Parts: sequence; structure tokens; C-alpha cells
Amino acid sequence: MTEFEKIGTTRRAYTRRDFLKGMGVGALSVAASPLIAACARATEELAPTPEELALAGPLNFSNWPYYIDEQTNSDFESEFGVSVNYIEDINDNEEFFAVMQPLLSAGEDSGRDIIVLTDWMVSRFINLGWLDKLDKSNIPNAELLRDGMRNVAFDPNRDYSLPWQSGFTAIGYNPTLTGRKLTSLSEIFDPAFAGRVTMLSEMRDTLGLTMLGLGLDPSTATVEDAEAAVAKIKEHIDNGHIRRFTGNDYGTELTTGDAWVAYAWSGDVIQLQLDNPDLEWLFPEEGFMLWSDNMLIPKGAQHKATAEAYMDFVYRPEIQAQIENFVWFIPPVKHDLVKEEIAKIEETPGELSENPLIFPTEEDLANAHIFKPLDEDEEAQMIELFESVALDLY
Amino acid sequence: MSTAKGAVVGRSQPRLLQRLARVAGHIALPVYAVLALAYLFAPIAIIVLFSFNDVRGRFNFVWQGFTLNHWLDPFKIPALTDAMILSLKIAAVSTLIATALGTLIALALIRYRFVGIAAVSLLILLPLTTPEVVMGSSLLTLFLNQGIPLGFNTIIFAHVMFNISFVVVVVRARLRGFDWTLEEAAMDLGANEWRTFRKVTLPLIFPGILAAALLAFALSMDDFIITLFTSGQEVTFPLWVWGAARTAVPPQINVIGTLILVTTVTLIGASLLLQQRRT
Amino acid sequence: MPYLLILPGLTWLAVFFLIPIFTLGQVSLQEGTFAEGFRFTWHWQNYPDLVSRFGRLFVRSFGYAGIATLLAFLIGYPLAYAIAFRAGRYKNLFLFLVILPFFTSYLIRTLAWKIILADEGFVVAALQALRVLSEDGRLLATRTSVIGGIIYNFLPFMILPIYVSLEKIDKRLVEAAEDLYANSPRAFWKVVFPLSLPGVFAGSLLTFIPAAGDFVNAQLLGGPQQQMIGNVIQSRFLRVLDYPGAAAMSFVLMASILVAVALYARLFGTEELM
Repeated sequence: MTEFEKIGTTRRAYTRRDFLKGMGVGALSVAASPLIAACARATEELAPTPEELALAGPLNFSNWPYYIDEQTNSDFESEFGVSVNYIEDINDNEEFFAVMQPLLSAGEDSGRDIIVLTDWMVSRFINLGWLDKLDKSNIPNAELLRDGMRNVAFDPNRDYSLPWQSGFTAIGYNPTLTGRKLTSLSEIFDPAFAGRVTMLSEMRDTLGLTMLGLGLDPSTATVEDAEAAVAKIKEHIDNGHIRRFTGNDYGTELTTGDAWVAYAWSGDVIQLQLDNPDLEWLFPEEGFMLWSDNMLIPKGAQHKATAEAYMDFVYRPEIQAQIENFVWFIPPVKHDLVKEEIAKIEETPGELSENPLIFPTEEDLANAHIFKPLDEDEEAQMIELFESVALDLY
Repeated sequence: MSTAKGAVVGRSQPRLLQRLARVAGHIALPVYAVLALAYLFAPIAIIVLFSFNDVRGRFNFVWQGFTLNHWLDPFKIPALTDAMILSLKIAAVSTLIATALGTLIALALIRYRFVGIAAVSLLILLPLTTPEVVMGSSLLTLFLNQGIPLGFNTIIFAHVMFNISFVVVVVRARLRGFDWTLEEAAMDLGANEWRTFRKVTLPLIFPGILAAALLAFALSMDDFIITLFTSGQEVTFPLWVWGAARTAVPPQINVIGTLILVTTVTLIGASLLLQQRRT
Repeated sequence: MPYLLILPGLTWLAVFFLIPIFTLGQVSLQEGTFAEGFRFTWHWQNYPDLVSRFGRLFVRSFGYAGIATLLAFLIGYPLAYAIAFRAGRYKNLFLFLVILPFFTSYLIRTLAWKIILADEGFVVAALQALRVLSEDGRLLATRTSVIGGIIYNFLPFMILPIYVSLEKIDKRLVEAAEDLYANSPRAFWKVVFPLSLPGVFAGSLLTFIPAAGDFVNAQLLGGPQQQMIGNVIQSRFLRVLDYPGAAAMSFVLMASILVAVALYARLFGTEELM
């Protein structure tokens, strides 16, 4: 089954019948669905029942595209009797911020009950007071959050956020074109690769990786560290080594071979490898970055309790497996639980449950860094430095 | 003085060259037109081709084999289909309004001399010069301050706003040098102003209005930044594609794009045939 | 009467353009940072600060837009001519064909160009064989690809207005001119081309003005050394959160475009065209 036979993200309410009528998924799903229903019933003691909570709807959920499977929302709807208004209107943290800023700074209702944003933007929202605290008593399954994600610098007690999915930022490259396997971040500056290297336009990703290559630690980054990284980057812009700064569009360049080495995101590279088996993922020896997209409840959300019930629902291991089977990023819930569930439903055994980019090893997770949450002053200085070099303004 | 024979030879050589030049000139233009259209459609050819690409992953950058699968299920991604339909609706509505408003302004600017004509001419150019990101954000602030709910209507407000300028500039180019005595003649013959406009002026400037409408429609279909700020929770086709591209570039985008191309060309071709039949 | 005609459109622009622009003007005179907050202080200093910092990119943007407009004219005029005079019944079909590429998203079109113009692709190979490009030369992530992208995306804006002007020309006038001047080229230059000038002027405006403020082409097709003023404004607004700076730069951009247009109109002879 190809990737696209699994696609069909919902914007309107899907009933279970719609799904079972077969959006091209086939017999496997029909077999799996009673299994999932049974699992749902088994964990029902953890989930608050509709009577207990009298959930108000509809649940307005803004998310990034391709971040959920077809079934989860309709499962939630049938179990809780609330419709899910799922809209994929987030495609960039800063653009979403720009659109939310006039609303939330005036204290108005954003029209959304759950939004999903990347950790550093969560930090900003928290500092601006734009988020509601999560009522953990409504989210017992929050206990199932992976140990490594419980106590993060930008939200120490997970008061405001619960991760949706995570991923790595490191190197995607083509060993056939580079002529050898790479092992470290400093190697990307090999003069043989002149004009063949792309970096990300996302400041924390690029500065973070560059810092690691210089032996600096992004999780304790100072403005001086940023200056060092920027100087290194500038040197390689001036001599034409760095080809471009990309968003997610490094995919074309890696595929056509215009770029040999790219700062890249793990989820993308898994997909690109399916089309171009030459491409490889590198976990550099100096370390690499970990990012997570997090579920948040914006201030003034109309259906907070429903949002919390939803968060609890998606943290059930079998629902995690369901989502994971489509999304292919790193799940937030304890991996042994999710692996167990996913082994039951994955098409090719081991395709997901043994994929180190979806269920990373402890060692890899230990080498992953999260960029330090910046206070407004540091952020302003670093972004100024980075933007100036990316726009070649010096 | 040349012999009679020499004279004949002397005169036919330039005539031969002249004829060659004329023939070359005659076919050069259509040949060029074909090349220019090929240039316009080069990426479209890739897009159409890749709608048949048998992709294994989520992206569509590398040819992997031919398949009809995507064509058998073009509306598989409801969000994409909905977004395309929304974009078409928005484009249709905003084009109608912008073309009407813009044509009226163009008529006024050409036909009459009035106080403030220079200011209006300037005002028409200003929206063209404004960067979309600040325009979008300022519009968002306006809508919020006035309590206007964001969605279909606010997108229309924005699209018409930037389209009026394009319509005015195009229609005005058509109206330049328009022979207004035709109108006077019609009115002398007994037609009132409206009738004159409808029967005399409008048909003559129609190609200009059509061209302006086409441009406005295209602009509306393709707009991203201003729409991002003014769309609320509506997702238009460009918004969906830019958003999705972060994770995937499904061939359904190519299929739907090709469908629109083919449908439009077929419709026009059919209407041409009908016209031919009637005459 | 003219006031009646302009009233609906003008009202629309007054509400949905002038009011937001006025707000933007206020923002451009603020100072502060996102962290501390912005205060309105008639901070005119924003303007010279920004011009000195980003002046180079203004020049580059106008350069790119100017070259793109010229080339779009050279490429587009003959096509407009062909459609107006040679397409006969199929005129409207060809007009649609010119616009049709816009029905695919800009992003998809650009990704397609990136595949066509890839370093290992046949276009680059052909150009290298013809010695137009050096051995290790490339098309993408260069000035050429950014300008090429601008030309491609604005070509319909050049073609349609020129077509509109040409199509209006009475065919009998053209015949008379061809009779008058024994060979066709002078008939064109003396009669047809001058009559198409309003279209050329309109097409140039609709190409140059948006191109000067464009950012997507540089973002997707260019490297750090090809960034335009539009990219800076995006950056200041979305990432650096320097709202006054972005606003001030927008006004400088708008003003400089208008000056350029005024000079251009002077060149053409304002009376006839504006």
C-alpha cells in the first residue's frame, strides 16, 4: 500500500461508517477496527465518560497538514458524542503567530480549542500569557508521556503543553554524490561540497546544528555562541559554499541532486528515501536537534474540557499507534507501549516498530538537544544576527 | 546602362529575397508563438506528467513509474478538494466585483476630466506597490477592530481590493484612443446613455474587460499571503498546498490542476464549435 | 457623472486599503521592540535607519524587476501580437492558455521549474554544451533563476494588456500602413507599435510594480546573495517582529516605486497614458 492510499485527513465530521466503506484502506482496517474498539473499551476506566463531563462541542482543532490519520477524529466523535472541527491551517509557526497576535494580544477568543505549535513558539506563547493551563485531572493519560519529555525547559511541569509529535533535525545527504559516508557536522564544510550544501531558514535549527559542529551546546546557548555560529555560516556564504536557506523545500534539491548535504528533518528524509534510496540520514557524532510540536489550549478557548478529553484520548497507546501508522514521526507516549500497539497494525512487520527515526534508541535521544528557551532580549539579538546573515546583509 | 537581361536579373534578385523575407516573417511569428507557449507550459507539462507518477513516498519529485491510480481517485484528499472549490468560488466572486468596480473607474478616468483625477490615478497604483505581508496584517487588524468575523467575506474584501487596480490599468489601456464620437453618433440616433453603453461601448471594450477579468481571476486563485491573514479558518488552495508541502506533495494536486486545465480548454473549445455552428 | 462611476470602487479602496495603510503609517512611526512593546512617538528615524541598512537590497530589487520587465516585454510582445492578429477565432482560447498556468499553485510551478532546471538536468547540460554556462555552472540559486522566476510568473501581466491594445487596432489601418510602406516592418514601427503603447505601458506597470516587492521567487529560487527587499520586509515582520521597521520599509518601497513609475511615464509622455 502506498503512502497516498492512507491519506484522507478530515475537515468535516466523518462517521465510522464512512471510514469502513473503505477509503482505499482495505481488509486490514476492517480487521483492526474491532481490535481498536476493544482496546478503547479496555482503557475506558481511564477516560472520563461523557455523562461525567457533559462535553461541549464542537472541538475546534487547528493543526499542521498531514499530522493525523483518518480514523482518530471519528473515533473520538463516536465515543464522546462531540464533533471535531479539524482544520489544517497551521503551516508555519511565525505565520501563525502573526495571524494570532492581533487576536490574542487583545484578549479575544482565537476560535480554537487546541492548537499545535513547535516548542520555541510555545515558549513565546507562555511568556505572553496566551495559553490556558491544562487541567491534568482531565488528562490522566498524560502520565504516559515519555520520561524524556516530561520536564522540558520551556514548560517544566508540562503545565501548558503536551507533545503531539517529535522529530529530529540533523543531516540528510547523498553518499553517492558526496563520495563517502559522513559522520560529523564539521564535515559538511568540506570544500569539495562547495555550492552543494543547504541550511534551514529556521534559526534555532540552523544555529543549533552549527553550534554543535563548533563544540558548543545549543541547550545553553548564549548570544556569543550564536555570534560564533553566525560567523561560521557567513564565511561559507561568502565563499559560495552554502547554496540556499530552505524551508521544507530542500526536498527537491536533495532529490534532484542539486544539494548533496542538507540540514533536514527526520520525517522528511524517511519519505524522500522511499523515492530516492540513495539518500541517507545522519546522526552526527557531535549531536543533533530534537524538536516537538505540542498541543496547546489558547486562552479563552470555548471548549476547554473537551480539548482536555481529546488530549487524553490521543494519548491512549492504541490511538497513538493509529496516528503513528500514518504520521511517521516520533510519538510522545512511552515507546514500549506504542511499539506494542503498532506492531499489531503495521503493514510490513518492523517497518515502523523498528525504525530508529520513529522509535529512536536511548543513545540517540541522549545525543539530541533542544535549543535553550530564550528570553525576549536574547531572542531578539539572535534573530537579528541570523536574519542578517541569511539575507547576506553584512 | 544595363542590358535588358541584366536589368531583369538585377530586379528579380531583391524581389526573391524580399519574398523569402516575407515568407520567413510570415511563419516566424507563429513559430515564435508556439515556442513562447511552450515556455509558458513547460512546468505545466511536468505537472501533468507527474500526476501519473507512481510515488512510493509522500513527495512527488522523482519519476518512478506510470500509474493511473491517482486519476482513479482524484478527490481522495477531501481537504485539498474543499480548498480548491473554495478558491474557485472566491475567485469567481471577487473577479465579478473587481471587474465591475474597476471598469467603472477606468471609464471615468478616460472619459471625463474632473477634479481629483490625478489623485484617483495615483490611488489606483498604490495597492500594487504595497507588500502583501504588511497589507495582510493591517487588514487583519482592521477586521478585528471592527469586529468583522474572519472567513469567506473577509477574503473577498481583500481580493477585490487588490484586484481593482489590475482591472483599472488593463481596461484603461483598452479605452485609450477610444472613439467617443461613436457614442455621440448612437445617441444622436436616439439611443439613451445606458443603451449606448450596452450596444456600442461595451462590445468594443469587451476584450479589455475579459482580459482584466482573467488576470483578476488568476491573481485571486494564486494569492497566499493576504489570504493567510484574512482567511480565519478557511483554507484556500494555495494555503493548503503551501501548508501540506511541509510534509507531502501528493499527486492529487497535479491531478486536480490538470483537470482544471483540461476542463477549461474543453469548455472554450466547445463554445467555439457552437459559435461556428450558429454562423 | 464621473464621481458616480468612481464612487463604488473608490469606497471599497478607501475602506479596505486606505484605512489599513493609515494604520500601517502609524506603526511605521512607532519605536520599541516586541519585548518591551511599541510606542507611537513620531519616530521618523525609522526611515533613514532602514534605508541606510537595506539600501543595497532596494537597488538589487529594482534591478531584478527592471530586467525582468524588459525581458517580459521582449518575450511577451510578439506573443500578444500573434494572438491579436493571427489567432482569428481562437483569440480567447489563447488568452485562457496564457493564464491557465496560474491554476496550479505557484509553489507547484516553481517545484516543476526546479526539476527542469536542475544542475544535472538536460537544460543545464544543453547550456553547458553550448558554452553558455561554464563546466560547473548552474542555473538555480543564482540571479538568473530568480529573475527567470519573476519573468515567468509575471508574463501574463505583460501579455494581456499589450494584447488588449493591439486587438483594438483596426485591421484596415494595418493594411493601409502596409500599402503605404512597401515592407511590413516599417508599417509595424510607424503605425502598429505606437498604437500599442498604452498596452505596453500598462503591461510594464503591472509587471514592474509587483516584481519590485516580490519575495517568493528569491525565497524559493535564490540564495543569500539574491535576496530582495520583499524578503527583508517579510523577515522584519514575521521573524524579527520589527513591526515599525517593516512598515517604514514598506512605505519607502511604495514611494520609490511611484517615483520610478513617474519617471517612466515621463519617458513615455504622461498625457497619452496616465
